[in-house]
Amino acid sequence: MQRRLRVPIIVALALFSVLAIAAAFSSAEVSFRSAERDGSRVAEVLIGDRIVIVLRTTAAGYTPLERAEIIANRLRASMPEDVNAEDVQVASIESGQGLYVSDQLIVAIYEPEADAHKATPRALAELWRDNVLAALGYEAASPTGAEPAAPAAAEGEEAEEGAEAEPATEAMPSESPEATTESKEFDWTGTAQKWVPIFSVERAGLRLGMAQVAGPPVQVDQVKGVYQLRLDFKSIGRVYAYVPVSTISTKIDRVQGVSVWALADIEVLGF
Amino acid sequence: MSKKRITAVVVAICLLAFGFFAVEAQAIDLGDILKVGGIAFLVSQYDDQLDSFITSALGERDAAAKGATKVVPILSLGGGGYVGAAQVVGNPENVARVKAVIQVEGRFGSGRAQLLVPTTTDKATGSPDRAKGVGISAVIEFRI
Repeated sequence: MQRRLRVPIIVALALFSVLAIAAAFSSAEVSFRSAERDGSRVAEVLIGDRIVIVLRTTAAGYTPLERAEIIANRLRASMPEDVNAEDVQVASIESGQGLYVSDQLIVAIYEPEADAHKATPRALAELWRDNVLAALGYEAASPTGAEPAAPAAAEGEEAEEGAEAEPATEAMPSESPEATTESKEFDWTGTAQKWVPIFSVERAGLRLGMAQVAGPPVQVDQVKGVYQLRLDFKSIGRVYAYVPVSTISTKIDRVQGVSVWALADIEVLGF
Repeated sequence: MSKKRITAVVVAICLLAFGFFAVEAQAIDLGDILKVGGIAFLVSQYDDQLDSFITSALGERDAAAKGATKVVPILSLGGGGYVGAAQVVGNPENVARVKAVIQVEGRFGSGRAQLLVPTTTDKATGSPDRAKGVGISAVIEFRI
């Protein structure tokens, strides 16, 4: 009887494990956000509540937050497919290291980014790979290759930099309550400014509007325009709300920490 | 026509013109006074309601600002009158200090530019002293 039971139990356990991994993977939602670490703005990529990648430097003209958005999109694109632990890999690319999921390059890691983390490109790529694996419910892969591990994190360093020496699940910064919840308060005291178009077709005639937005440089960089929303307050007033947005679409994707300083418009056509 | 008659006609026209423009000027001033007083009254009465109205309207669209907000009057630089209201947004300690938004408006051809400066004073005289870390989230026009 024991032999008869053993096979179904093993099969059931295996099926349960596969389903659990699949559930963890399918429920993992990829997002990104701006955050402050060590007094500077960084961008974080999350799978679920777990921070898997922290970007500190601008590369190829893309700000950390723009890079985080690209990486999040690539991760999302790789999510619908079944991903095994072996599919999340680190491989050498020209002048750096690449983190791949299902043969798709998720992020390229070069010296400047690695230096900002006080790590080698290889060590940083492996750390991020382990973070992705942990977020997907797999055990972190052991360090590979002959590359030396990154130096131990300096005192006061975020756990993210020194995490490769320990299991990623223990060292993940997302374990801290501050990291799991989105920052309630943004830094509104930046000095960067730029002029962007105002999107609105609600005024009589056709007017081209521009708005000067101001805020921290990282956030201001993201602003592609200002969405003007017209609201009627009772019968006594009309409200024009100005929302700095990072994408030009019908969905309002507000860039926090940025506000409007000045408005300008030109009447192109009156009717 | 004699010289005396011409002089009398010119004087009469001048007096009429003076009277007309005086009445017109007085009417504009009265209207402005009523408007300015009305806006001041509306801002003081509805500032909190407007603030929560704007915040909740933006919240419904997932576009609310993650910062402190407050509705304050807009003062026209030079004119000094209340011309509307604005919702300011920023860090809580900075927003708490804002008393008004100074509006500096300029026109260029068919275009116009409007500089909106949150300040810690409620007087629109001299150069506006910008409250740091605070910007404009919404502009409110009153129907008066």
